[in-house]
Amino acid sequence: MSFFYNLKYFSREAAVSMVRNRILTIATVTTIAICIFIVGLALLITLNANNFIDRLESDLEIVVFLDNSLLDSQIKDIQSQIGEMPGIQSIAFVSKDESLSKLQRNLNTNDLNSLIGENPLPNTFKIKAVDAHQVQDLAIAMSNISGIYKINYGQGFVEKMFQVTVWVKNLSIALIIVLAFGAVFLVATSIRLAVFSRRKEIYLMRLIGATNWFIRWPFFLEGISMGTVGSLFAVLLLNICYRSILNNIPDITLFTLVQNSAVLVPLFVSLLIIGIVLGIAGTFISLNRFLKA
Amino acid sequence: MLVQFYNVSKIYPNGVKALDDVSIKINRGEFVFLMGHSGAGKSTFTKLLNREEIPSRGQIFINSHSIIRMKKSQIPIMRRSIGMIFQDFKLLENKTVFENVAFAMEVIGAKTKEIRPRVLDVLSMVGLIGKEKSFPGQLSGGEQQRIGIARALINRPVILIADEPTGNLDRETSIGIMDLLYDINRKGTTVIMATHALELVKVSRKRVIVLEKGKIISETNAGDLR
Repeated sequence: MSFFYNLKYFSREAAVSMVRNRILTIATVTTIAICIFIVGLALLITLNANNFIDRLESDLEIVVFLDNSLLDSQIKDIQSQIGEMPGIQSIAFVSKDESLSKLQRNLNTNDLNSLIGENPLPNTFKIKAVDAHQVQDLAIAMSNISGIYKINYGQGFVEKMFQVTVWVKNLSIALIIVLAFGAVFLVATSIRLAVFSRRKEIYLMRLIGATNWFIRWPFFLEGISMGTVGSLFAVLLLNICYRSILNNIPDITLFTLVQNSAVLVPLFVSLLIIGIVLGIAGTFISLNRFLKA
Repeated sequence: MLVQFYNVSKIYPNGVKALDDVSIKINRGEFVFLMGHSGAGKSTFTKLLNREEIPSRGQIFINSHSIIRMKKSQIPIMRRSIGMIFQDFKLLENKTVFENVAFAMEVIGAKTKEIRPRVLDVLSMVGLIGKEKSFPGQLSGGEQQRIGIARALINRPVILIADEPTGNLDRETSIGIMDLLYDINRKGTTVIMATHALELVKVSRKRVIVLEKGKIISETNAGDLR
């Protein structure tokens, strides 16, 4: 392949073209940077929203209240019945005494016993499901076990929460798709302008006998460089903004931002790749119109 | 036989019939004028020859190879044997004279060290030595057309197609360009020149093909033209 032999020529042509059409180059790089920044912002918001939702979901638990008349052996029996159900992650026994002392602690008092006489609280199991979405089904299944007089899993709230989270996830995916399309369109338009401003050169190259790939390569290198520079800007800016938000917002107990670099680094790297792909895709779409026949 | 047109017709998508059943043979080394009013089919003829357009009917051969049935990948290679010059020169204004001519070698992937001597060679042939670093806009029309000719010659074409090369030039300058084209022809390149400059054609004693409304209405020697 003569590509490597001609690489110097291709790079020089790409560089010269970008410098000569610098206004257009700056416009294209800016467009890519803005698009990648917005897509990145949407991804970060989605990432954090999903993280928040996951944490909410993982906090969901089923509380099973037991009849006070049960013997220890019956309690053991119920525990093993529940433990054998599929999809159970953990099951913890909380005795009525533990519940009472916890209640006393919460109420800041020590003599609740003397006030109410005998401990009225039931023995309970606290159960977590592997998948939070199964909580409702599991609770229904448990209600058939005898010796259980009440099951609490946040009825009503759980269903609403799942509705909201489905909406949030779908909406964020839709937003990212719309933005990505918008970005490809904008980049294709910018590069079409760059190609258009050189249509005479392309026409001549074809008449002189340059192969289509020979004509394409400088433009591809141009698209690749503009994509790289644009998305680098965007990723740097995103990183700076995100870090400053992380550093300036005090720990809110309910909503914490993702700061795991095992998640963030791949995200930023993919944004960079998306930028480069945008540059190539835009160039390809714009060039083919000029290289027909 | 270098160029052969067999019953070639060209009808554009908008319904215009630009060429109508044209058959023609041009020998290697010939100098042929294509004459006719604008719209007679001269430009279509040249566009068919370098396969910018394909005919609606008929066959075209260059060097006994059909350029219609040619594989797509072969088209660039075929075009390297055809040099083109234009009425409006089609120079790249942001490149120097040297770069404009070198461009034609670069885009077919010529070796860098071969380019410089060859460009200087061709520039001296067309009389532009000393102007290598000028930009086309700084030169006269005649000089700009000489850049165009140098660019067309740089890859040693077998055929030179000139589409109204003197259309934008005054009489004096046109004669200079014609002398250059005759000179190129004498060195062996086949020249096909579309023009309606009768006064240039009359004094040439070359073969003249006259087109009208897409048909050949006469083939004669220039001396016989009135």
